[in-house]
Parts: sequence; C-alpha cells; structure tokens
Amino acid sequence: MQTLQLLWAGIAQGMIYALVAFGYNITFATSKILNFSLGNVLMLGGVVGFILYMTRGVPFAAALAGVIAVGAVGGVLVQKLAVEPSLRKKSQHAWILATLAIGIVLRNGAEVFWSTDDFKMRSPLGDVPLRIGGAGGIGIYPQEILIILVSLAIVLAVETLKARTLLGKAVQAVSEDKETASLMGIDQTRVILISFSLSAAIAAVGGLLVAPVTLVSATMGTVLGVKAYSASIIGGLESGYGTIAGGLIIGLSESLTARFVSTGYKDIPGFLFLIVLLLVKPAGLFGRQAVRKV
Amino acid sequence: MTEAGHLAAPRPPLPRRLAPLLLLLPLLVPLLVENQYYVHGILGRILIYTLLVASLDLVVGYIGDVSIGHAGFFAIGAYTVAVLTAPPALNGDSAIAFYPQWPFLLALALGVLLSATAGFVLGFPALRSSGPYLAVITIAYGLIIYTFINEQEAWTNGTKGVTLAPLRLGSLSFGGNNYLFVLYPFLVGVLWALRNIGNSFWGRAFEAIKNSSVAAACSGISRAYYKVSAFVLSAGVAGLAGGLFAQLDSYIAPNTFSYNLSVEFLIALIFGGTRSILGNLIGVTLFVFLPDLFTAFADARLMVYGVLLLGVLFFVPEGVAGILRRLWGRLPVARVDREREALAAQASQVEVFAHAVDRQGEALVLESVTMRFGGLTAVNDLSLIIPRGSIRGLIGPNGSGKSTTVNVLTGLYRPSAGRITSFGHDMGGLTTAQRARFGMARTFQNLQLFHDLTALQNVLVGLHQSFRSNLYQVACWTAAAQREEWEAKVRAYALLRFVGLEAQAFERASNLSYGQARLLEIARALAVSPGLLLLDEPAAGLTSAEIEAINAIVRRIRDAGITVLLIEHHMEMVMAISDEVTVLDFGRKIAEGPPGAVQANPAVVEAYLGKHPTAIAVGP
Repeated sequence: MQTLQLLWAGIAQGMIYALVAFGYNITFATSKILNFSLGNVLMLGGVVGFILYMTRGVPFAAALAGVIAVGAVGGVLVQKLAVEPSLRKKSQHAWILATLAIGIVLRNGAEVFWSTDDFKMRSPLGDVPLRIGGAGGIGIYPQEILIILVSLAIVLAVETLKARTLLGKAVQAVSEDKETASLMGIDQTRVILISFSLSAAIAAVGGLLVAPVTLVSATMGTVLGVKAYSASIIGGLESGYGTIAGGLIIGLSESLTARFVSTGYKDIPGFLFLIVLLLVKPAGLFGRQAVRKV
Repeated sequence: MTEAGHLAAPRPPLPRRLAPLLLLLPLLVPLLVENQYYVHGILGRILIYTLLVASLDLVVGYIGDVSIGHAGFFAIGAYTVAVLTAPPALNGDSAIAFYPQWPFLLALALGVLLSATAGFVLGFPALRSSGPYLAVITIAYGLIIYTFINEQEAWTNGTKGVTLAPLRLGSLSFGGNNYLFVLYPFLVGVLWALRNIGNSFWGRAFEAIKNSSVAAACSGISRAYYKVSAFVLSAGVAGLAGGLFAQLDSYIAPNTFSYNLSVEFLIALIFGGTRSILGNLIGVTLFVFLPDLFTAFADARLMVYGVLLLGVLFFVPEGVAGILRRLWGRLPVARVDREREALAAQASQVEVFAHAVDRQGEALVLESVTMRFGGLTAVNDLSLIIPRGSIRGLIGPNGSGKSTTVNVLTGLYRPSAGRITSFGHDMGGLTTAQRARFGMARTFQNLQLFHDLTALQNVLVGLHQSFRSNLYQVACWTAAAQREEWEAKVRAYALLRFVGLEAQAFERASNLSYGQARLLEIARALAVSPGLLLLDEPAAGLTSAEIEAINAIVRRIRDAGITVLLIEHHMEMVMAISDEVTVLDFGRKIAEGPPGAVQANPAVVEAYLGKHPTAIAVGP
C-alpha cells in the first residue's frame, strides 16, 4: 500500500517536472535555446499565486489569471533582456549564462522583496485526501489529480496546436532553418518571442500547481528547475511528448528511492540514469541525432 | 628539429625579466597586517577561489564547454583533506567513525588525485555531448557529489561539518594569517603552470578543438586525448583549491559546495574574462569584495551579480580582462616588433619543405569506395589511383560527391564499402587525427580557421605533431620546451611567408580577408608536413588575381614533392594546373585523363550542360 502511495506521489511530482521540461522544450524548438531561469519563473508563479490567493484572498481563478499574465510577461522580458542579445552576439554559450543570471536575479529578488521563509498554500480543491481502498488505502490529494490532468492537458494542447495550426508550422520551420523560414515571410523573432512567453506562462502555472503539495518559497524553483531540465534532456530536447517520459522517470525514481533506499539519496538514481543515458544516446530517449556536416 | 642550434628567441628586456620578483611582495602582507578578517578571511578566500576559477577556465575558456558542476571537484578535494586529517579531539560529539589523521600534504595530494580521477570520469560524457546536454551532466555530477558528502555521515558528519586542527610545523603555527605562507606558493606555482600550458601547444590544441574540432582533428590533434586531459587537469586544480580551502577556516560543511557555488564561480569567471589569470583574479576579487563593500546590499548581492553578468555578457563579452588586454595592446611595451623581427630574420634560414618525409608507393589508391547516407548514395564504387608527386583535379557538378569523397578520405565519414590506401598504408582503421599525423592534410571549402587565434598560431596548430615536450616540461616551461616553441614559431613564420601572409602573422584569423583566409588554410595544412594535400575548393570566391597566386603556390607545393588532390569548381584553374583530371557525376566516375581529353569528353559535357539541345541554347 505504501508503495502504491509513493508511486502515485511520484507520478504527480513527475508530471510537474514534465510540465516544466515541456517549457524548456518549447523554446528549444524555436531557438535552440533553453531558458535556464524557468525554475525560478516557476517560483515566481508560486509566489505570485500565493500572494494573490492566500495573502490578498482573491478567487483562485483570478489568481491563476494573474500567474499566467506574470509568466507570459516574464517570458517576454527574458527573451528581450537575455536571449535576443545573445542571439545577436552569435556567441555559443552566452545564452546559458544570461538565462542563468536572470534566474539568479529572480530568486534573489523574491528573497529581498518578498520573504526568505517557507509558506504552506491551501489547495483550491481542499487539503483532505481522498481514500481509495478503505481506511487503510492510499490517500490521493485532489491537488495531485489536478496537477496530472492540467499538465497532460497543456502538453497535449500545445503539441496538437504545433501539429495542426499555421503558427505551429511556423514554429517547426523556424526550428528547422531560421534563415529560410525568414525568407518565407515568417517573422522568426516574433515566433521565438511567443515561444518564450508561452513557455514561461506554462512554468508559472506549474508553480501554482505544485505550491499546495510542497511549500512556497524563494528557493522552491532552483532544484525543481534543474530536475525538469534533466527530464527534458532524458526525453530528448526535440521531443514534446518525450518530456512526459523524462518527468515520470525522474519523479518515480525519486519516490521509489526514497521508499526503498533513503530520502537523502532520492536524487541519485535519476541523475545517474541521465549520465549513462547520454553516453549511450547523446540526444536523449526520443531525440534525433544530427549528422555532422563539413 | 634538425636545423635547430642557431635559432634562438630574442631575450626580453631586463625589467620584464625581473618583474616576477614582484610576486614575492604579497608574502609581506601577513607580516605587516595584523587584521585577521581582511588578510585571512578575505585575501585567503580570494587566493583559493582564484585557483578554482582558473580551473574552471580550462574547461569553459579553453575547451569551450560550460561546466556547472565544479563545486563537486572542489568538494572532493576539501572533504578528502578534512576526512583524512581531522583529529577526534575536535569532533567530539560527531557521527564520524573514522579518523585516519594523515599529514596535511599527503591528504592534499590524495585529494588532488581523487578529484582528477573524477574529472577523468566526467571527460567521457563530455566527448559525446556538448552545450545544454553537457551542462546538465555537469550539474548532475555536482549534485551527486553534494548528496554523498551530505549523507555519508560516518565519514563527513553530514550537515554538521568537520572541524580541523590549524596547521603547524613544530612550534610554528600556520593558522590564521600565517596560512597565507602555505597558500600563496601553491597559488603562484599552479597559476604559473596553467599559464605556461595555456600558452603552449597544449593551450592551442584546446582552443583549436573549441574553434573547430574538425580542423583540429585534420591537424593531427586527438580531440579525445586533449578534451579528457583538460577535464582531468581542471578537476585536479579544483581539488587542490578545495583541499586548501578545508584548512582555511579549519572547518567545512556541505552547504558551501552546493549548485549555487558552481553557478557563482561561472559568473566570476565570465565577469573577469576567460583565458586570463589576471581576469580570474579580478573576477574573484570582485566576487569576494562586493558584498563586503556594500554591507547593506549583502542580501541582494546575487541580484547585483546577475545584473553585472548580463551587462558584461552584452557589452564586454571578453570580460574585464578583455578590456585590459585591449588597453595593454596599445602600450609600446606590448609591441611584438622584436619578436617579428627575430622571426623574419630566422625564418629565411628554414627550408619550408625540409620535413616532407620520403614516402613510397602511390600517394592515394581508392578501391571501389562507396558512401551511402540512408537511401542516398553520395559516392558510388569509386576507384582512383593518384601517383606520387602529381596534381590531380577532381571536378563534377554540384552534388556529384566531391566533398563527400574528401570527408571519406580524411576519415570524417566511414565509407560504406571499399578500401583506401595511401603510400602503401591502409587507412581503414585510422581516425582523422591519425591520418593527419600519417601525412594527409586538407583545407576546407567552408573555411575552418581557429578564429580566436592569430595567423601564426593557426599554423602552429598545424605543427602540433612536431612538438615533443611532455606536459611536465610544458608546465614548468623548461629550456627545452621554450626552444621547441621558438623553433616551431620560426617554421610557422616561414610557412606564412611561403603563402605570402607574413605581414598578417600577428593578426587574428577572424580579421583576415577571404583570400587571406584561404591562403592561411593552405599554410596550416602544409604545417602538418603532408605527403598528400587535399585542397577543397581553394579558389571559391576568389578574384582571378588571387587564383593566379594560388596556382603558383600549388605548383610549388607539387614541385616540393607533395601530391595534391584539387577539388574545384573553377574549371580554368583545374585545367591549368592539374596533371590529370577525374570527373564525378552522381557519385560515379564518368571520365579521367589529361585536362584536354577530359574537356572534350562528351560524357563530361553532358554532365555539365545537359543532353537536351535547349539546355545549351540559352542567352537572349
């Protein structure tokens, strides 16, 4: 029973990783850039959600709208402040450092202007677990169900849009070949901007989703962002649905290690898996390996 | 080198030779200043962190990979020293179960060794992955090490940390400010060695791999060897910094070695500027001092760093050191005139082609070579014999398989079938770098110069395999290593003179014009001392005057006994200088023979102009 309980918790946690990993995936698809501040954008979503919903007491739907807005604007800012200058510089690694820097500013900003403490956030669906299988059965928090459903819905919706709509085609075109896409009349800067905005909004929603099952704090996004990054690499950066596999692998390995080995070592198997996987498949589980051209 | 002896580098002026004595001055600080906080706390930290950042620089600045896991190596060094030297008396109520109580230096040596081993292990994923893929591996690596020092309480006492006894030698205490006497010699020695390595053929090999790993391989540089070596060196130095850090406060706890530390040091490195010891020092000093200067901002220091980093990335991408380097370059002391004069004088004593080794057999034999990519056959059943000492033209319309052929020859692609022999040796099992060392050099159609390096350094990379010094000799900059470096420089200068680029010797490759870049590619390929030179469209984009110059150079190369395979679109050039011409179309050989005969061959005319009469009836 306890194992089932942990499996369930692992899946819920894994879907949060998957959701943020999907955020990484979206910007990589358009610009070959990962927004390393995404973990801290998630934190921003959690903190803004907490302030609106708990401190100010606005309705949850309004808090959600606020979080989405903050994320979307945040994504635009990241793109304008960190990514666009890096792209113009044509420097290989400037974007890694620039987005890391934004993440640090966000985290430290939250510490300075908000709080350095941890806070408990109420779930809009209540904090009483549903019992499945009688009194001794596994407990499922409504929030966990919400996490899984919303994450799946977002990934599915965006992937469908990418496959079916003109904007989706434009995204793929920009991803394949920026120059040619530009020549075809696609405004690549706009496509990239939209992808950053969407990706950050998704991460911010992730923060609001995960807040009731963990704690809200300025540091909540740091490790989560790193794990989601691992999840996106495991799944393969080119693969949208691969992020779900990556997220679940990290989430489940965590909860199972915590159960059968020790909580202290819960991160190790996921990271070891990542390192070994990249030795065997350098582009992740579902990624494509590029042929080297001279 | 045979003609050595009479080649000697110019001696630098006296003040410059005496300048290293200034390095002794900081040793006075602990004697003159009593303040513990600034000398021991701040200065000590700056010295140790500079070592750490310099180690990071090897990977980030020289090899060009982003590591966000160096805190892990730092931790390995620190905890090896802490665990091995901690006395039980100071860790009374701890969970530690083992007290080996080794002497400090022995523990430090083991820490460096363990850390270097960890770097070796990280080197392998680094060979297969790069960019965001490698970055995540380094993060995972750092976090795994972090977890272990947190959890292995029997050794590390977990989050509560380990307390060490201050160092002493007899009645002499090396605690407090006196610890600087231990720290400083390590710092100066290691930074000096790193600087020597960075300026030597090792450093050039690192940068060559960073700028173009393909061109590095074609210059005979094994990417695996140098990349893994860089990770081992870097991890070893980071481990040393960690070991020294353990004794700084005589207490360490896991918190110090978190993911944040890796990120912060990356910031310090970029801020100060890469590939510069001075830059490392400046970055770290700012990093340690800033929170101290603005105590009110101590809580907000990360925000300040973040904003500073963004500013540096976009306004001065070369960091503070980059600015200083540019200013320094304008001073008369920094002029390279003396070196240039000495090189120019001595280069005339060098025979450019003296090293072309006598080789036997046909220069190149292809037997039924086929290269398929999925369903596409780019080269189909190609057989070819190129006799020694000739110029062979290889032509064909776009997509006929010319460039693929060159890539198969140099080992960048493994052929699907067939056999390649050069001077009687089977090339089958050889890597690109091994083929280069064997004597197969090439230029690139889409220029692959090492753009961060000067023209002279580009040619020096080509001379890579002529260096015999080992790493120890290079690190200590022994007389032998210095002589070897100078002799190579003279030869590189002579090669630049051969292609007519001596005036640009100290110019960065990225500043050269298109035609000059093409010439530099040839000079770099010649530096490999090839028996067979593959020229991949050397005339692409050049004016007819520049093509004339290249024609003359290619003829002189042939006259020196080097066989040339010339891949070219420019028909006039091929017909003018080739002894024989091979024509490809759709990956197949359709004609071969002397230029005149090939030109008249109906199959060739058809391949180029098409069969249908309207295809040639163009024009108004």
